[in-house]
Amino acid sequence: MSKQNTHGKTYKFGMVIDLDKCTGCGSCMVACMSENNVPFKEDETDKKDSIAWMRVYKLTNGKSFPETEICYLPRPCMQCGGKGDHGHSPCVSVCPAVATDYGHDTGVVSQIPVRCFGCRYCMAACPYHARYFNWWDPKWPGEMEKYLSPDVSPRMRGVVEKCSFCYHRYQAARDKAYYEHREEIHEDEYQTACTEACPAGAITFGDLHNPSHKVHQLVKPDPHHSGRPRNPKAFRLLERLETNPKVYYISEKEWVRKAGDNYLEGEWKKMNKKHG
Amino acid sequence: MKVDRRCFLGLGLGVVAGAVVSPPGAKLTDDLAIWTQNWPWTPVPKDGKVTYEKTTCSLCKGNCGISVRKVGGRPVHISGQEGHPVSDGGACLHGISGLQYLYGLTRINAPLKRNGDTFEKISWKEAVSHVADRLNTMRENGDADKLACITGKERGSIPELFKRFMKVYGSPHYYSMSDMNTTWRTVAETMHGVNADMGFDFENATHILSFGSGLLEGWGSPVNNFRINAGRKDKGGKLVQVEPRLSNTAACADRWVPALPGSEADLALAVCSVIMKEELYDASYLASYNTGFSAFTRLVASTYTPEKMESRTGVSASDIKSLAREFAKADKPLAVAGKGRGENAGDLREFAAVHALNCLVGNINSKGGVWLNKALEYLKFPEEKMDADAEKGLEKEPEPSVASLVEKIAESDSSQIQALLLEEANICYTMHDVDRVKKALEKVPFKVSFSSFMDETAKAADIILPAHTFLERYEDLPSDPTMSIQVVGLSVPVQKPLKETLNPGDAVIRIAKAMKGVIAENFPWKKYEDCLESGTGKLWDALSDKGYAVVSDKAPAKSVNADLSFFSVNNGKVLEIAGDRAEYPFTLVPYDNMRITSSEVVSSPFAVKTVSDEEIKGKDSFAQMNPETARKLGVSQGDRVKINTPAGSATVRVQVFEGVMPGLIGMPRGLGHTVDNPYVARKGVNTNQLISASIDPNTGQDAAFGINAKISRV
Amino acid sequence: MSELDEKTENGSVEATGECGTEEKKAKDNSGIGLGVIFFLVAFGVVFLSGWLLFPKLLYSEKEQPFNFNHDLHVYEMGSCDACHYVREDGSFSGLPDLYSCTQCHYEEPMGTTEDEKIFCEEYVAKGKEVPWLVYSKQPDNVFFSHAAHTEGAGMDCKTCHGHIGESKELPVYEENRLTGYSRDIWGDNIWGIKKNSWDRMKMDDCAECHEKETGSKGSCFQCHK
Repeated sequence: MSKQNTHGKTYKFGMVIDLDKCTGCGSCMVACMSENNVPFKEDETDKKDSIAWMRVYKLTNGKSFPETEICYLPRPCMQCGGKGDHGHSPCVSVCPAVATDYGHDTGVVSQIPVRCFGCRYCMAACPYHARYFNWWDPKWPGEMEKYLSPDVSPRMRGVVEKCSFCYHRYQAARDKAYYEHREEIHEDEYQTACTEACPAGAITFGDLHNPSHKVHQLVKPDPHHSGRPRNPKAFRLLERLETNPKVYYISEKEWVRKAGDNYLEGEWKKMNKKHG
Repeated sequence: MKVDRRCFLGLGLGVVAGAVVSPPGAKLTDDLAIWTQNWPWTPVPKDGKVTYEKTTCSLCKGNCGISVRKVGGRPVHISGQEGHPVSDGGACLHGISGLQYLYGLTRINAPLKRNGDTFEKISWKEAVSHVADRLNTMRENGDADKLACITGKERGSIPELFKRFMKVYGSPHYYSMSDMNTTWRTVAETMHGVNADMGFDFENATHILSFGSGLLEGWGSPVNNFRINAGRKDKGGKLVQVEPRLSNTAACADRWVPALPGSEADLALAVCSVIMKEELYDASYLASYNTGFSAFTRLVASTYTPEKMESRTGVSASDIKSLAREFAKADKPLAVAGKGRGENAGDLREFAAVHALNCLVGNINSKGGVWLNKALEYLKFPEEKMDADAEKGLEKEPEPSVASLVEKIAESDSSQIQALLLEEANICYTMHDVDRVKKALEKVPFKVSFSSFMDETAKAADIILPAHTFLERYEDLPSDPTMSIQVVGLSVPVQKPLKETLNPGDAVIRIAKAMKGVIAENFPWKKYEDCLESGTGKLWDALSDKGYAVVSDKAPAKSVNADLSFFSVNNGKVLEIAGDRAEYPFTLVPYDNMRITSSEVVSSPFAVKTVSDEEIKGKDSFAQMNPETARKLGVSQGDRVKINTPAGSATVRVQVFEGVMPGLIGMPRGLGHTVDNPYVARKGVNTNQLISASIDPNTGQDAAFGINAKISRV
Repeated sequence: MSELDEKTENGSVEATGECGTEEKKAKDNSGIGLGVIFFLVAFGVVFLSGWLLFPKLLYSEKEQPFNFNHDLHVYEMGSCDACHYVREDGSFSGLPDLYSCTQCHYEEPMGTTEDEKIFCEEYVAKGKEVPWLVYSKQPDNVFFSHAAHTEGAGMDCKTCHGHIGESKELPVYEENRLTGYSRDIWGDNIWGIKKNSWDRMKMDDCAECHEKETGSKGSCFQCHK
């Protein structure tokens, strides 16, 4: 465990996505691309190399017509805390270049593209496919370079990139707090671009440590189990890997909650009985 | 003295020792490390002061309030505007990618004039006088009624200026593109005898029965509907979606009822019959305000019983009954029609049947019901001065819709339309049977486009007078009529025009000023902004101050009559889609996907990037079909198949999807553009190539929702 | 034993035969002496070029558009943050733009210096931003929060920027030919030795201070984007 930062307040930023409200409209994906200078190519239909820090997956219940149901699942970077929430995220622990690192003051997993030399170990290690490799130099055709934001450094070919929970927005909120000589930033001062964009209000973002924040109230994270949700309708993806994601999902539908992990036959029922 | 190996040894050691105790080694190592991190061709975005500017998005008819973040005066990001009455902080993916339109690859840089197969750049002065001369000549030859004009939007001062121009010029052929609101207005007139827009108070309804309306696919004012849907989930309101395909709306609904495509009217009438039989209607409302109630009761009781409608609709009698009971017993029930996004006109009989449900539960002009809002009339222009030529031209009758105008041009030998003004209407893409539209346009000798982008229709024009994009211009933008409240938004420039473009309002003012006679007199404004300010009158203060003005937010007076005689009078006038079932055994129904635009606006590169690889793969698009359909055809996921319809044919790939009714083929709208932008165009098939117009016998509008098709393996 | 050694031995035998023992010794001595001379010369050349020539080769001197008198401006304006200030949103204004300058300077110069004349004629009159070369320019991936340091930690400008505010003339801008950044980042001392906190501006210098003041170098995202 690396040394704790002793100055300033520490947070554990997390996200809660209400899958029952998500309509799969794609606003979060585009808001993210626009906010984080994510480029685009002529053909983006090979989704393995189509860079989308936030990607919306479509789930189906597998039943035939007319019992079919679908559900959309937005997937940013899970900002895993790793086993015991000590910062041993799957990606951080394999990076040979310290290009990705766990921020103990925020719980955000960083990715510094210029430091990355493109070995892609982190991509192999990430169980959520949240990391993308730049196979080509990004291009902004025509005059599109003019809309790039100075808050996020554009990447180059040969490096990995991923969602940062819009860390630059946290930085901006902190700057404002410094200017106003405040120690703490307010809940509404730091919101990710996807949270802000979601027209259905399905995404909630805030400090999981702070009981007054909506994210905390929605999932009731269990501090004794690295933040496992105590809300029975909430779940995290691949919970049993103990990656300890900071992204939680909520759904009333059992099949959706079940889709959050791979269960052996009968396992789901047994688990649910145990947890009530 | 001899130089021997020791000397070389000394030399070598000297070099090494000198290097060790001098800086280049360490320094160069460090510098090289930094050098490897320099990628000079990677852009470094310029920093600066962050500011936010409010404006209104007009990429679709939703007209959401947006906020543009600028860095050092340069727009970098678009997000929703908090507190806006339409969108309250929300924005859709198309609005968010607005800057990709501003810097769009197909933007037209300056006025263009056709020269053979290419365009040449001309000055605004030349372009305006060229158009004015041509129109003057036509008018002098007594051919004023041979000028037609199509605007993409229907309301607001820009379409009004075009309409005014057409009137004083003396042509009846002013049209705007029809959509579901055209049909809703006809419903208001037919069933309530009022000239009104029909607004739906979804926000307060507790039970919404939707007949294929893609409330989460971009129907009406999309972001407003997303917000309302999320609120409904919080409040426990119910949504029942009747649709043959599991759309995103159906997926988010509490109940999905797949009914055969085109059977919505019959299903709605069957639901009516249950409500009548079980006396679940609002007797007090109907007692005071109704016409034709008893005839309607007799009709539905005899013809539209649930049992009789089972096979017609594909919905079981018991389901029809439960639909009716759930609906009529709800606290605030609301029924709505308008398939998909409602970008096309609807079938009047279907809309009327669905609205009959609203009449039966008496939700007209009440909270959570349908509001018959007086059409917005906030614009006040000076009264037109007409001359004899204008009066004479206007004696001619206009066509009922753009579809019939195109039909008329296509049918006629000598062109009845000699000049056509196309204001941000991409009819060579958005209209059904698009090849026929293109052929009809070839017959019009002089076409003027006012598009910002080199779209399919601009490509066919003779003169292009390019428009500012929505981020560069002023414009008043009335909210979508399907909203219960009525809001006018103001678009303001957040960026100085990047190209030699003009506001279309200014372009038409300049043309009018270059015209002879009373036409110039009718356009007294120096520039469009003056016209906007004076025209919006009392609203201007609120518009310029807040960026929007709420015109009405209360339900109109409840005392409005409901006339149900439409069905008895028009029984039998049923909309048919093209294609003989024997030859074309499948039904192709294009569907709307929020992530793809299908209006005159082409999707942005960002939006196209978000589209699933089960909708576009490489250059192919997909046709959704039930596994049962695929089995019958002997095809599986990813196979290429050929779809033939009476209008055309296309090759697509198969997407096997459980959520489509067997026998139904679903294809996404909005693909297959042919503009010169490799990031968004030449991907998939434009479904409008495959669909022929189906003229609604009740309205003369093209209300085709699909077509019968046959499928063969490739 | 290698072939080379054998050959050398034979060579020595031959030499002995011709010149005698005395001469051999002398030659051996002179051989060592020559080796030492070679060593010293090589060492000297490399050492001196490393210290004196190398910096000249590594850095190219670039001229600022015109001279800027910080001393005078601080005197007239009162403090650094009259022009370089933290905005209300906490972001840093950096170098003032032309608009800010023209709040005082119009097309007609206020003083008599040649530099102001250039400024007024070439930039104010033409509405052109001054293309200053920035001594403290960092790579794009660096996020530096001035607010955190000046407002949060209460540091003064001098700690990092030194005495630039008291200078009457802009120092020569020396651009590193390899990296493209100013010499001031690595520091004037080519060996990288710093005497004052403002002598260098490399990541190690940030980390050193952070370690000392906060007990941690901080996480990557604290300073990178």
